[in-house]
Amino acid sequence: MSQPSLTLPTPGQQAGRNRRLLEILGAAAIAATFIYLVLTQPADIAGGLGSVSALVAMGGFLLGAVLLIVGVLPTLPTSTVVLIPVALVLNIVLGQLMGTSGLPFYLDSIGTVLIAVLAGPAAGAATGALSSIVWSLINPTVLPFAAGAALIGFLAGTAARYGLFRRFYFAPVAGFLTGIVAGVVSAPIAAFVFGGTSGAGTGAIVSAFRAMGDTLLAAITKQALISDPMDKAIVFTIAAVLVYALPRRTTLQFPFVRRYHVLAGKEPAKRNA
Amino acid sequence: MAPRLNPLTTLTAAAAVLVITTAAASWVVSLTVAAGAVLLAGVTGAARRVFLAAGVILAPFWLSLLVMHGLFFPEGRSVLASWGPARVTTEGLGFAVDMGLRTSAFVLVLLLFSFSVRVPELVAALATLRLPPQFGYVLASTLMLAPIIAARLEKVRQAQESRGLVVGKGVGNRLGAVRLQMVPLVLGLVHDAGIRAQALDARGFRRTGPRTTYTQVRDSPAQRGFRIVAVLLAAAAVAVRIAASLSRGQA
Amino acid sequence: MNGQVSAAVTLRAAIESFAFHGDARPALRDVEIVAAPGSLIAVLGGSGSGKSTLGRLLGGWLAGGRDGKLKGRLELESVGQQEAWRPLVFFGADSDPQIDPAAWAEQVGYVPQDPAAMLSAVRATVEEELAFGLENRGMERAEMVRIVAETARRTGLASLLERDPATLSGGELRRLAVGCAIVADPAVLILDEPLASLDADGTRTLTELVAAELARGTAVVVLSQSADLLTRLAEPWLVLEDGAATAAGPPDRILAGEELASSGVVVSEPSGAPSGQVQQFAQAQSRARPAKDSVPALELDRVSFGFGTEYLGRPLLLENVVLDVWPGEIVAVTGPNGAGKSTLLRLFNGLLSPLRGEVRIGGEAIAGVPTGVIAQRLGLLFQHPHDQLFERTVLREVFFGLDRRFGASAPVRAAEALASVGLSAAGNVHPHELSGSGQRLLALATVLAREPEVLALDEPTVALDAHGLRRLSDAMTAAAGRGAAVVLVTHDLAFARAHAHRLVELRNGVLAAGD
Repeated sequence: MSQPSLTLPTPGQQAGRNRRLLEILGAAAIAATFIYLVLTQPADIAGGLGSVSALVAMGGFLLGAVLLIVGVLPTLPTSTVVLIPVALVLNIVLGQLMGTSGLPFYLDSIGTVLIAVLAGPAAGAATGALSSIVWSLINPTVLPFAAGAALIGFLAGTAARYGLFRRFYFAPVAGFLTGIVAGVVSAPIAAFVFGGTSGAGTGAIVSAFRAMGDTLLAAITKQALISDPMDKAIVFTIAAVLVYALPRRTTLQFPFVRRYHVLAGKEPAKRNA
Repeated sequence: MAPRLNPLTTLTAAAAVLVITTAAASWVVSLTVAAGAVLLAGVTGAARRVFLAAGVILAPFWLSLLVMHGLFFPEGRSVLASWGPARVTTEGLGFAVDMGLRTSAFVLVLLLFSFSVRVPELVAALATLRLPPQFGYVLASTLMLAPIIAARLEKVRQAQESRGLVVGKGVGNRLGAVRLQMVPLVLGLVHDAGIRAQALDARGFRRTGPRTTYTQVRDSPAQRGFRIVAVLLAAAAVAVRIAASLSRGQA
Repeated sequence: MNGQVSAAVTLRAAIESFAFHGDARPALRDVEIVAAPGSLIAVLGGSGSGKSTLGRLLGGWLAGGRDGKLKGRLELESVGQQEAWRPLVFFGADSDPQIDPAAWAEQVGYVPQDPAAMLSAVRATVEEELAFGLENRGMERAEMVRIVAETARRTGLASLLERDPATLSGGELRRLAVGCAIVADPAVLILDEPLASLDADGTRTLTELVAAELARGTAVVVLSQSADLLTRLAEPWLVLEDGAATAAGPPDRILAGEELASSGVVVSEPSGAPSGQVQQFAQAQSRARPAKDSVPALELDRVSFGFGTEYLGRPLLLENVVLDVWPGEIVAVTGPNGAGKSTLLRLFNGLLSPLRGEVRIGGEAIAGVPTGVIAQRLGLLFQHPHDQLFERTVLREVFFGLDRRFGASAPVRAAEALASVGLSAAGNVHPHELSGSGQRLLALATVLAREPEVLALDEPTVALDAHGLRRLSDAMTAAAGRGAAVVLVTHDLAFARAHAHRLVELRNGVLAAGD
């Protein structure tokens, strides 16, 4: 009977490279889809349903999101993986509540941003994509927005990586900028797949722009540029409040937080208990 | 449904129907699919839950669509009525109905799938697809966490009210109360998650080798065949649509 | 997976120091432990002594590097293996060995204090939960079925295999958690507070389970904050205080020494009654009953309540309950699990409303008054402090909302309340980083600071170590001394007898004077 090893082997290079490839392919699929949609946009609305655009939008963005998930998930430590369901429930419950409130905000990415701040851009992107996919089991209309949600997680993690969560007033600024990008990327989905937005509040804003003669994509993009930056500024602020409420022992468990000194505070904290 | 279908079979069927509906881009097909989903929901006994969830999602969506395109559709030519900047056009109404029906079909079919599938079976079936096991875990855990979190939030509220934290009337007070409740909720959940992670690691969650499943999921050659046919049909529908749009130039 | 007897493996650990990230002080230092096949060892210590940290390190749940800085040595020694494991030596450096938690758990199984934390929580039945670890190993299904059945037999879960884990009782849940650990057939088993919050029945079955594991040749380490029935079977004892071992040796010698009392371990007589409280019982009885004022502080006037009684026709949980508690009086409500003790408390402050009858505080009916307002007069403390603490520091937690009520005297009151539970020195600590005992005392302090007329406590003794129990009893006496009425609901009869002026028993929906 041979003795099994009690220690972990050093991670193999080949497996890591394959995962990296999946991540890059995922990001490329999302980028290519977006570019295609923007380029073909003018012909579309006049042609009626634009079913090819809808297929491309759904297929491309969904494929990208799934590749990202498959690439990123196995690399995450278990402490991050078990936190993802908590983040998803936060996203889904708050998102569902806001969707019926009539306010032009979503608040459906607090959990995603929380994970991104604690575990980094890759974890944030995977959480965003997973959030849309799991939420779609009870609200299928969010499924096509998986790529946008992944982007929000990625950008939030990047903001944390470069210290924007170390100062409280930077968090809403980072959120505002993330919102601009996220809004522009999500607008084609709303336009081509659903022909509008699902909320009553956001619908009113789109109608206003349409009344001024904008194309549907332009109107929805402008609406997104009004709603999303504000929404993400709020979301980033709430996430910052929550992260700073956590005990340091908990936040410092995350290698990402330790390595990039994501949160303000002395290190190590002086305790006298 | 006497013998339960493999969750992968129903998932493939739902996805194929949706792709074909989108590719067909006709309100007749959308309506047929939506009606089919309603009928199936009635047969499987999931009707109540499906309708309730679909109603919550679709009612504001239809309203938004009808206002948006029914009143403001600058591309519309045949004007039925107009009040100032608002013009009701045939094209606008048609567009709203097209989009609304397609989304209704989309929502109904997927809801029918999620309300008829058993989550542990779905997770076991997904494991056979060689998806990362973390994916199945996240899916199952999220669905199982929701009621636990709701119960926990109620406990937090009770404990805090008993401590004398009164929820006032104004917006500021409400937001303050939300903060007070969110913090212990999230803290508690993150704390639990930290411990659960250590337990999962000890139980081999991060092992890289092949895995097996204890839950047995029914499958049959017929179902496997059906899945292949469904995927081929969906692919064919997409191909036909792309070919048609190429032959018409750009559309 | 070897039939009847586990492989003879000895765990030797020498922890020089372990400090969590961000902590200047180590949580553990200079602890040595040897767990030999077939032996039962007890690690005793008060709340926050580092017991759980030690258990997690031994079980591979905490890892040096990821969770903190570890210096020391972990070694597994096996008899009859051709190739021995090399000792794992940690210097607190990046080049330290990284334990594979799954491989380690096949030799050393750890069962946490909260059994629910052991579960994957994504499995719908007990048998699927047990199989989780086997699935991850890629075991053939037939073999899995055999091992799950075998584990169920060892843990007495055979009749519960189809149940949803969420519906299990406390004792069953803990056996399932043990089952999840021994499904890998480890040679060493580490049990963290295995008897915590178990009733007599649960205690018996778990003690039998441990005895059976010992008979198989498993080495068992029990971590506990009370010298109870199970730990009394162990030898040697190791006493932890403040992260360091202060005594080790046979139980008799340690019971005779000072270290146990200083560490905060609750010592109960072999009969089950805590010894330190026996004298206090007489003392409590000799206290004069408080003089009866004109109005009781809390009054339950023929209160009836039941869940779903009105619409679903379910039976009443409480029927015509009458209870008067006078200012300065301490009343203990006892009764079996599920009798409705916690429900009774929730009627006091309007979280639940009686179907019939009336609840009065200081003579005024509370019907229609929001709970948050009643809380100014009646402070109710729940079992789980996690649910009510939300501030960044202990001091802010107690101070919260005080200034609005007491103005300039608020800081003094907050400091006094903290001092009364012995947390003065911990003012800047994050509430969640306090020990289990500390968190409960902090929650108590937040209520005490408001000086309510009535203090209602739900199972206040659970999770408290000996120091905590003393502080709780001091705080209750002080509150009664200034004229507050105190009602506590508890299953700890000894504590109730020692501290209450009067016992009432809730059984079959009615309150009766207890003995």
